[in-house]
Order: sequence, then structure tokens, then C-alpha cells
Amino acid sequence: MAYPFRHEKETRILSEYFGDPEARTLDGWKKRGGYQALRKAIEMGRDAVIEEVKASGLRGRGGAGFPTGVKWSFMPKEKTGPSYLLVNSDESEPGAFKDRELIRWTPHQLIEGALIGAYAIQADHVYIYVRGEFFEPAQVVARAIEEAYQNGLAGKNILGTGIDIDVTLHLGAGAYICGEETALMNSLEGRRGQPRVKPPFPAVSGAFGRPTTINNVETLCAVPHIINKGAAWYRGFGTEKSPGTKLFNVSGHVVRRGNYEFPLGFPMHELLYDVCGGIRDGRKLKAVIPGGSSVPILAAEECDINLDYESVIAAGSMLGTASVIVMDDRTCMVKQVRRMVEFYAHESCGQCTPCREGTAWVAKIMRRIEAGLGTEADLEKLVDLSTNMTGTTICVLSDSCAAPVMSSLKKFKDDYLGHIHHGACPVAAAAVA
Amino acid sequence: MAITGQGTSAGSDAAGAAAPPPQDLVNCTINGVAVSVPKGTRIIEAAEAAGIGIPYYCYHPGLSAPAMCRMCLVEIEGAPKLQPACVTVVGEGQSILTESAKARAAREGNLEFYLLNHPLDCPICDKAGECKLQDYTHAEGRKHGRVVEPKRVLNQDDFGGDVLYEGDRCIMCTRCVRFMREIAGNDALCVVQRGNRSVIDTFFDEGLDGDLWAGNIIDICPVGALLSKDFLHKARAWDLDRSPSICPNCSQGCNVYVDSRDNLIMRLRPRPNPEVNSYWMCEEGRLEYEWYNRANVPTGTIGMADTIGGGPNPTGRCERPMVRDAQGRLQAATWHDAVVALVQRLGGLRGENGVLAVASPAHANEDVALLHRLAQVLGGGDAVFRVRTAPSEVVCPGFPKLARRRELAANGRGLRAVGFRRVGDDAGAGGLDELTTAGKIILVLGDALADVPETFGADAALFVYLGSEPGPAVRNADFILPVTNFVEQEGTFTNFEGRVQRFWPALEPPPLARPAWQVLGVVLAGLDDGPAPADAASAFLRAAELYEAFGGLSYEVIGGRGALLNEPVQLGAGAAEGA
Amino acid sequence: MSAELPTGEVIGGAPAAGATGPTRTPLVGGNPGWAGERGDFSHLSEADIRGDSYVGRRPLDGGVGGAVCSMPYQLAAKEPDAPLFEGPYAERAEKIIARYPDKRGALLPLLNLAEEVRGYVGPDAMARVAEILGLSPAYVRGVATFYTMYNRQPVGRYLVQVCTNVACNLCGGDEVLQAFLEHLDVEPGVTTPDGNFTVMEVECLGACGFPVAVQINSRYFENVTPEDVPAIVAGLVAGEDSSDAADGSGAGAGASTAGGAPRRAGAGSSSGAPADEA
Repeated sequence: MAYPFRHEKETRILSEYFGDPEARTLDGWKKRGGYQALRKAIEMGRDAVIEEVKASGLRGRGGAGFPTGVKWSFMPKEKTGPSYLLVNSDESEPGAFKDRELIRWTPHQLIEGALIGAYAIQADHVYIYVRGEFFEPAQVVARAIEEAYQNGLAGKNILGTGIDIDVTLHLGAGAYICGEETALMNSLEGRRGQPRVKPPFPAVSGAFGRPTTINNVETLCAVPHIINKGAAWYRGFGTEKSPGTKLFNVSGHVVRRGNYEFPLGFPMHELLYDVCGGIRDGRKLKAVIPGGSSVPILAAEECDINLDYESVIAAGSMLGTASVIVMDDRTCMVKQVRRMVEFYAHESCGQCTPCREGTAWVAKIMRRIEAGLGTEADLEKLVDLSTNMTGTTICVLSDSCAAPVMSSLKKFKDDYLGHIHHGACPVAAAAVA
Repeated sequence: MAITGQGTSAGSDAAGAAAPPPQDLVNCTINGVAVSVPKGTRIIEAAEAAGIGIPYYCYHPGLSAPAMCRMCLVEIEGAPKLQPACVTVVGEGQSILTESAKARAAREGNLEFYLLNHPLDCPICDKAGECKLQDYTHAEGRKHGRVVEPKRVLNQDDFGGDVLYEGDRCIMCTRCVRFMREIAGNDALCVVQRGNRSVIDTFFDEGLDGDLWAGNIIDICPVGALLSKDFLHKARAWDLDRSPSICPNCSQGCNVYVDSRDNLIMRLRPRPNPEVNSYWMCEEGRLEYEWYNRANVPTGTIGMADTIGGGPNPTGRCERPMVRDAQGRLQAATWHDAVVALVQRLGGLRGENGVLAVASPAHANEDVALLHRLAQVLGGGDAVFRVRTAPSEVVCPGFPKLARRRELAANGRGLRAVGFRRVGDDAGAGGLDELTTAGKIILVLGDALADVPETFGADAALFVYLGSEPGPAVRNADFILPVTNFVEQEGTFTNFEGRVQRFWPALEPPPLARPAWQVLGVVLAGLDDGPAPADAASAFLRAAELYEAFGGLSYEVIGGRGALLNEPVQLGAGAAEGA
Repeated sequence: MSAELPTGEVIGGAPAAGATGPTRTPLVGGNPGWAGERGDFSHLSEADIRGDSYVGRRPLDGGVGGAVCSMPYQLAAKEPDAPLFEGPYAERAEKIIARYPDKRGALLPLLNLAEEVRGYVGPDAMARVAEILGLSPAYVRGVATFYTMYNRQPVGRYLVQVCTNVACNLCGGDEVLQAFLEHLDVEPGVTTPDGNFTVMEVECLGACGFPVAVQINSRYFENVTPEDVPAIVAGLVAGEDSSDAADGSGAGAGASTAGGAPRRAGAGSSSGAPADEA
């Protein structure tokens, strides 16, 4: 069951124990079958584990959707020194709130998955990077790490196998950009959280200059289940190219917001209208952002799609973190896009000029348009700027800023024109009427 | 080519280096031009070697490359995204396009972003005329701005030392931050905040005072965000004449550009030399140039024409030859008369009581070699020099070949190479009392003799002073001959490690001043010792003939990068200290 | 596990009898607005959801293994002039440094500790951390100012951080922010004259299913509406344990403080009063 609403159609794999306070304790987790996968993985051997995860088709759940087994296989086979597994729990994407639930309800699920991953890639140390605002869930993780150490599951000689894997909780300090993998590595190393140029790639030279793999919380939480029940079982869910289940974090104007776990490919309409109880107050759907604020916005008529990586791309957006933000017809797109753009301007690390200057400028233009002082020339400017901000920087934050701007200009131009020609929000005016 | 520390010391870079074996070469085309470079070469370096310029801000060949300014984005045919040329390594068979529509559009868009918050300060900004933002925008930027929103405003910040920071103009290339981390080694600058609010600062009020290398960030700042307080509003870049020279303030021999206008030095800037100073120089060298600006000399002092009937004017510049007449008064003379008289007197005294030669380490190899030769031709004797010396050297952490050396003059090594020895203390004074002057020929080149008693040289048989500034002691000189200082002539210095480096004139000397090598060459010729060299190159060849240390060297061999002396490291007395 | 607090503070519960001056009571749990949307899990208490009884009392010296880097937030109130890295925090700093192959990696955890103790990271904290880690103070300044959570100046006792990003914005984030500002009669980022509150707008807090999310010090308040604001503020000021009455669970067991850690009265105890432990 996901949180805080449960639906009988859900497929409860990762979220089985949401709402079960005992499941977060080590004993409770063990009672529920915990740490058997770790034992089994060590018996299987590293290469077998990687092959199993590859065969399962598990894709990174942090937004990129890169096949996890393939990512693990990039780590060097010959070990020449320390190497690391980093857990990305920096969840700062607007609309995403799944990792918080995973780490506060089932921290041992994460730790077990991370240990299996670390074992598979021969990593000596797992760093769990939790965003600084998640103080409370981080405390839960801290206690779980402590339990793991105290019970021979982390640290030296895990489960008596002679394998040493350390686990450290590292708290961030408030920067969305630290969710980008190379920025996370920089932040872990005690630097400004600025993304790095690739190459070199993390598997060659990552944290502290050593081979490193970064995985999202949700990705690693799936690993124990894959080891326990096998790749073929995992492939029984979802679609061929997007196997497995996903936590869909639904927010915005639906009746029942929350996390819901379904196989990938679950239809968006069913998610919104059945599972989440439809649009609040009986309103009509206007727009949906299917994958967190960094992906293009889909207009209501584009939303009759399946929620898997390929289908969402075909519809002109991306699944990302499956953070579904729902907007009803009382929403002013200009206001929301303005707020999103301000977010990117605030979070830009400032390295690359198109992002540093571009996000701030786009924010200023959006504010002007929202205040009724915009012109149609501004709309052309916005398209031009968004183009210049796409594909020209070290990381994709500026692309992410451009995405809502471009998609809203294409699909909701009337909202903009209302502000421009009438100096006031057309949606707000309609709501009053 | 970028300085990688692999250049040779003889002549130009490429000449002495062996070509890499063919299998280590990578072939590509840049804008259709076939280019073959060693494996691992980055596109930006390959393009430079092919004579194709790629704009950049954050890249600097002496620093790390963060690829963040995004100016150097180039198109590689077949690749979906543009790649930064400063970090991307050339791949076999690639077709790299720096002028394609995509690349140009990226640069135009990028330049617009740079100008968004940039104050249009060009009329009052020192950097105008040598500003990369101006240059690139003029070449490829949009013709009109599209910003109607107010620009962000930051403050001016005095970083201490010579550095002034204008936050508004900063383009956040972080060259300065990286310089302080990688070269100055003290990580004294940081980027504060993030995103559009980023600004460069030190640790609150800590500042850059006392840092010997901080001034280099002024040179490497592509725009007018970091300014020299010394140079502030002094001269426009396009008014300046630039002459390659060598810093005279210590024996490191940093290669510099002397920027001058109206016959005054406005500033020094480092000139790259991978064997000596990389791209850098220290503050003590950089800011110490006034002492060879003639402007320091009170105006209206036209030689010492007004000394008839009195002693020499103690201030001012030697501007015309002066000869002491039978009545003991200094009279202005023409060069012809002065030299003829001098040769006559010297000829008469040759071989009698010997010579005391006092030279200055601020004079060129050519000058001091011929002075030493003259002393020998006249019968030999003491050949000495004084030099200020610091208690310790200060090594540049990021480029240890570079240091502010202990000996605070350019040519101590050159003097030693021809046989002068050091006397005196670390303040550059003393050392002459022990040397008898009675009945000797005293030849002084450049040393102002500021510390000697009034009677110095009074008992000499003949006292010849060649210099640019007369000290009080020349009251006893029989001949005062105006010579050029190093910034007014061509010549060479020999640095602490024995590297002979050329310098070129930056200023016009007083009309009658002559290079010392020329004067001495004519005098030697008058004494039947060889023909007088007609130019500095010949003067150097003459020195090379006469002194083994310079054997085999010539201006061609020295080239633009310098060449090492022949002699072993250890020299005669006086070499162990200082250097 | 009985380390003295650096400031001798008592965690949790009522102030010592006879105490004068501003009370040092921490935030206490319960409604209004902690996470009112419990949906199908209404049998769970706040403590169950936050995991308070599981977390227990995190030791000031950090505990075992990789847990050392988490923040304790044991302190009821920040002292802007508190000594840094002394007592149990000194030991903790050493343990933290040992978790990283490069000392520099301990920078964020040590800055977090400094912020925990003082409520902000100022020049002397930066210089101190720089000294411990062998970094230049300018470097530490560059890192500290990059991250939003390091306050440059002391803030009010309660730092009210209202999310107005898109998911909360759709559900009234701006209005909740306005409600706080108006109720407290303060400008964003400015501390109220009594030193109790600083209100600021923040980016997505990662609780988008429970709009509007408000983080006060370390604790999340969820499903906040403008109407909840006066009660939230009153609850903070009074430091009353209103969890029993308002959330209907009647347990108040292990009710957490917005200081984050449960009361010293012990994990899972049903009594609310910690007086015996003081």
C-alpha cells in the first residue's frame, strides 16, 4: 500500500509496508523477509547479481531511466583501490515525494538494496546522501544504519562473509542541483555542489576521484525483491521496455494525493480519475506534468496515455520521477510556470552562463508578463531564450527551466495572451465570473 | 601552443622537439583544414595550432579548464550536442566545425546572456580595448540588446593589494579563483552564493594584501572586473605601446611586456615563457617600474648645463656628455670631443696603476662585458658590483620554477659570468672602502654610488662615470657619459639560472644618451681593441668571443625564449649568495 | 548515552519550576497541521509516522558507524555564541572526519553541526571549520554560501519555511505564506521583534502530496491551510502539548518535538511529562 491512500489495484512491492511502523525496525524488517536477499546475493556472486539486475530490466528511478544493471556493469572489474556506491536521496524535484516515504517507512529496504548494489560493484563504502531538509526521515535512516552495524549487516565482515561495506549517512544543506549525480559527488566531497563535466564518467572517476556509481532510492529499494524473486518475476510487471513497478507521486488538484505503486504502463486516466478520485471540486483537467517540473507539460487532451518511459516520450514529455502534478481549469499556467522558472533561477549553481543568466532573465520576463506588463515580443523572446538554454550547458538544469516555458507557450498561449492583452489573469477572471 | 612545460630552451618551441611517432597522432579536420595532433590534444589546442581561433573565457592554458563559460562550444559533425573545445579531446577522423550555424548561434545566444547584467561601462572601464567581452560581442554578438528589465547591481570591492573588484562586470569565469587555488596556492578567493547572485570575494575582510602573486588575476580577468589600482584610469589600452622586455627587479628574469605611452611606462604585464615564469610575475616586479620612468626626474633639468662654475647637479638625468676641464669644472661636450679626450687620457694611463670597475646589475650583458674588457685592456684590477639582496626567496607554489629571487636585480649572473664579483651588503651599499682608488682608473657603469663619501675618486688618476643618473659621488668624476638604461636599449640579461634573455627598448632615451656597449665599444676601438660593434647583436657576439660563458650564443640562438649559458652552475665568489 | 548538553539545556517538556525569562520549551507535536492527511492510515499516530519511537534519542556524539553525520537537533534553542566542537561534539567531529577518505568531505557535516549549535553559520564558524579541516577560510565561505540551509545570520527561535513551489502553489502555498506573514506581522526573512519567528519562502520540501508543506526548524507541518496558521503559531509560542486533544489518537506517545528528537522521557513512554528525567 502506498501512502496515505491505498487502492486495491496497487501492486505492493516497494510500498508494501508503508503505514507499518514495525517494518522500519531491523527485527520487523527481518520478520518480513528482510536481509535474505543480501545473503542470497553474496551467495550468488557479484557477476550473477549484476546479470540478474540487468535481466530484470530495472531502470533508474531518479528520472533518467537508465538501465541499472548496465550502469553497475560500468564499474571496473579489476579493483585498484576504493570505490563507492552513492545513494541519491536528494529528492528536490518539485512534485516528487516518493523517496521520503521509502526512507521513513522502510529504511532497511534501502540499506539492503544499497548493500547488495555495493557488493555487486565491489564498492567499499555506501554514502546515503539525504537532502538536509529531510531531517526527520534522515534520523530514521541513521537509526537503521546503526542497527545494521550493530547486527553485523554493515561494516566489517557482513553476515560473516568476510565482506566489508561501510554505510554513511551524509546530509545535504539545501540545493536542488545536488540531485544531479556529479553535483552530488562534489557536495559529498565538501565542495560547492556544482555539476562536473563528463567525461570523466563516475564509473571511471567519481567521488574522491574513485570509481563511483550513483543510484536513486527507489531503484535500490527494488533490488532486494529482484534478488529474492528473480528477474523474470520482476519482468512480469510493467511493459517490455519499462518493466517493474513505479511509485507514482500524484499531487495537485486531485482528490486523493499521494504515492501509489503500479506497474509501469499504468494508464494516466485511470490513475487520475479512478485511483486518485478525479479532479477536486468536480473541476476539469487542464494540464498534467507527468514527471516533475523539469519535463514538458501535457495538456489535458494529451493525457490519455500509459505511464511508462516510452509512451510519455511519444506524447512529447518524459516520465522522469513519475511525479504527476495535476492542474485543473482554475490554474493560471503563467503563474505556475513563473513559479517553476523562479525555482530554477534560485537553484541554478551559476557555473554556466546560459543557465545562470538565462534562468534569472526568464524569471524576470515571466514576472512581467504575469503582472500584465508583457508584450507578444516577450513570447518570441522566451522561445528564443529557451532554445539558447537547451543543450548548451554542463547539466540540464537550464534545459529543465526551458521545458515548462516552451511547452506552456505552445499549448497554453491563451493564458499568456490574456495577461498580455488584458493585463490580468484570464483564468482568475473566469473563476470569479 | 599552450605552455605545457615541454618547450626547449634553445630557440623556438618546435625547433628542438622531436616529432611524435605517427601512431600517437590523431587526424581530424577543423573547418575543413586537416590537422594532425598528438593523442590527447584538446580541440582548443589543436585549433590554435591550426591557426583557428576559438573564443573562450574560463579556459586558460596555465590553469585548469572547467568548461563553464560555454563560449568554446564547437560542433562535431555527427554528435547531437555541441562540445566544449577546452576539455574535449580530439577524436580520430572527426570533422570539427567552429563556424557552423549551430556554433555561431550558440555563441551569439551565449554573448547575449553575458551582456544581460553587464553594465555598459566601456567608457569608464579600464579594460576597454583589451576586453574579450567587447571583442567577441563586436565580432559575433547581437547588434541590439533585448533586456528591458533592470540589471542586477553589485558593488565595487577593494580586495586589497593592487586588486580592485567590480562585481557588476564579472562574468564568473572563475579564472581568479582557480589562480589563487592552483598557482598562488592559498585559495584566498571564493565564489559566494550561487546562481545569478554569485559574486567573487575573499574571506570577508581578509583581502589579498601581502600576496605576491595576486596581481596576476588582473591580467587573466577577461573583462574589467578585476582592475589594477595602480593602473586605474591611467591610460587607455589602445594608446599603449607594448614592448617585450625582462623585469629588472630580481634575478628571476620574468619575461614582461612594458606598456608605455608618452614615453612613460604605464604598467608591466607578464609575457609567457614556459621555462621561466609561465604566464605570471610577482607583485614586487610588476609594481616597481617608476624608477625607470624619466618622469621621475624633475622637468627642466636639461643635463647639467647649469653646473658651469659649480659642482654637478645632484638630481636629474645624465643627458649630455660632460668633461672636467683643467680648472676642474665640468663642461658639456659633444660625444666626439668627449670620446676623443677619454681615449687619449686612457691611453696615457694604460697599464699604470690598474683599474677599479664598478658596474650595476641593472645593465645588460653587452654593457658589462665591454666594461670588463675595457678594464682588462687598461691593465686589469678590481671588477665589482653591489646588489640589494632579500633575506629569502618566495617561490610560486603552483609554478615552482618561478620565484621572487633573493638578488633584487636582473643581471647579477651576467656580471659574474664576465668576471665581476659582488661586494657590499644586502642593502646594496658598502664594499668599496676596502678597494683603493688612489692613482687608479675608476670606471663606473650605472652604479649611482649613493653611499660613498664625497671624496670618493678624488685621488683617482681618472674617474669615468657612465650612467643614467648621477649620484652625489660623481662630483669627482672626470667624464660623465650619459647612457641608456635597459628600458631604452636593446640587450640581454642573464637570470639566476644562467638563462640569457633578450629585451627590446620601450622608451626613447634622452637624445644624447647612448647604450653603454656602444660607448665602450668606441672607446675600445680607440684603444685598438677590436672594431666598435654597430648594433646590440654584434656587441653580444663580441661578448661571446671574449667570454667563454657566452660562447656559442647569439641573438638567433637566444630567440624569444632565452638560452642557457655555457658555464657550470657554480661560479666565482659572490655567486653562492644571492642568486 | 548520558552526555551533558553543551548548554545544559533540558530537552522537552515544561521549563524548570521557577524559571524566569523566555521559556526554553521546544516545539511539541500534534495538530494543528502536522500532517493532517492520513487518509487510510488514521489509526497511526504522528509518532508512528515520523518514527519517533524508533529513532529514540540520538546520542550527541553521533552514535555508531555511518549514523554520526546526521544532525541531532537535540537542542531546544540555538545559541548564537555557543562554543563549537566541544564536549560530545568534539568527539563527534572526529568520528565524522573519519568517515571520509578526504578530510574535505566532512565539510558539510561539520557546517551542519555548527548550524545545529548556533543556528547560523557565521565567519568565525567558517574559520573554525576551515582550521579543523585544513582548508582556507575563503574556501569554506564559498561552500557554505552555496547552500540555502546555512543561515548567514541568526534567525528567530522558529524558522518558518513555507513551500510555495508548484505542487503546493496549486493548493494555496502563496496564501499560507501570506497568512504567516500577516499573522506574525513580519516581512519575509526578517525576525519578529520578540525573536521568536522568522518566516521565509522555500523551494519544494518533498512533501507534495500533503500541500501546503511548512517546515518549522527541523519539523514538517503538512496540509497546512491559512486557517491553521494562528493555531500553529500559538502552539509554538505556548509550547503546549496539544497532541492528545487535537489528533484524536489520545496517545501522545512519543510525541515528537519540532526540535526533532523525542523527549528524553524515553522512547515510547506514554507519559508526556519528562520532569522525572530533568
